[in-house]
Amino acid sequence: MRASSPPPQPNTTTGSAWRRYRRELGFLILFVLILGTSFTLISWNPVNDRVIEPFTAAIARAGGATLNLLGQQTTMSGTIIRSERFAVNIRNGCNGVEAMLIYFAAVLAFPATWKSRFLGVGLGFVAIQLINLIRVVALFLTGVYLPKLFDSSHTVIWQTVVILSGVLLWILWANRFAGTPPAAPGDPLGPKNAPST
Amino acid sequence: MAGQVSGSPATGSWAGRLVRNLLLWLLPAVAVWVLCTPFYNRFLALAGERLTRAGEFPAVTRLYVQDTHQVLVTRSDLTGKDGFVYRFRITDLHFNLILTVAFFLAVPAVERRRRAENLGWALLISVVFHILILFFFVKFVYSTQLGAWSNEHYGPVAQNLWGFGKHLLDLPFKLALPFILWAGFYFQDFQQNVRRT
Repeated sequence: MRASSPPPQPNTTTGSAWRRYRRELGFLILFVLILGTSFTLISWNPVNDRVIEPFTAAIARAGGATLNLLGQQTTMSGTIIRSERFAVNIRNGCNGVEAMLIYFAAVLAFPATWKSRFLGVGLGFVAIQLINLIRVVALFLTGVYLPKLFDSSHTVIWQTVVILSGVLLWILWANRFAGTPPAAPGDPLGPKNAPST
Repeated sequence: MAGQVSGSPATGSWAGRLVRNLLLWLLPAVAVWVLCTPFYNRFLALAGERLTRAGEFPAVTRLYVQDTHQVLVTRSDLTGKDGFVYRFRITDLHFNLILTVAFFLAVPAVERRRRAENLGWALLISVVFHILILFFFVKFVYSTQLGAWSNEHYGPVAQNLWGFGKHLLDLPFKLALPFILWAGFYFQDFQQNVRRT
């Protein structure tokens, strides 16, 4: 008697997993690629020196001007804000660029029309920079009046607040402004399967 | 109980409840993180030390936690004061746990068991990520922060590799990790529930 082997079955495990999770994977792969590429770009010295440093200096000027309005009598020099009692140097990580790039990557990776993506990028730029301006001013005041709290406030509190703000903005944008492009055939979230709202 | 949907009664849109829950869970997440930080710092220093020493022949690196939030990097092959090489805030490496916990607990209408499983996986991935950042931090210190010693033991390629790796992990990916993990586990829920325009 000859042993018969079962007919070869197509290996569908990978394919079905991809189909099942393709939206998450597509979004995540695109998000990480955009984030990694944009950070690599701004870390490149010519870009850092010609774009990021002047941008950070502009943030320092805006922060210093706001502090002067609050009676702090500061002077600005490049990326440094200084008063008689305290000084801060605004560096990468404190200029809001990282939070903006995370937000931009999330907006660009999310399935939406290009019009709504551009709207999201524009609104996000303004909103995140406003939040970052509040952060710079608040940190300077923390350094003047509560110096023991400066370290924790600088990293833990304000970085959490700025990133949280970016995510909340993204949720708002996705919920209110992100027009969805036509779904691909067989897409579980296509017109037939999409929940009615 | 498996299958039970946790959270408050469904009022308002899904995205609105997500935002409200996120803000509500933030303070409890901060409280838990603050309480766990002294123990987690010790665990992280130990794990980071083991990982670093695994690639050393002979194994010379020791990491000590000091004043709860700082870690001292020392090398036993350097004598006297030279044995102490660097100090930085280890707490700053893992404050993204606050947002991870808040994001995962905030998603509305998720079965309790699924929520706990997803949060468990997210925390596990976060721990691995924190150990990896600490490892990159130590290698960054060795390759770029010790002047002549760094130049003697690390070439330009290695210095750039460790420096850029630390920069990439410590800024964009540390800050984006809670969002990346959340999107990995809940992107479909989010997309199915945000309002379509």
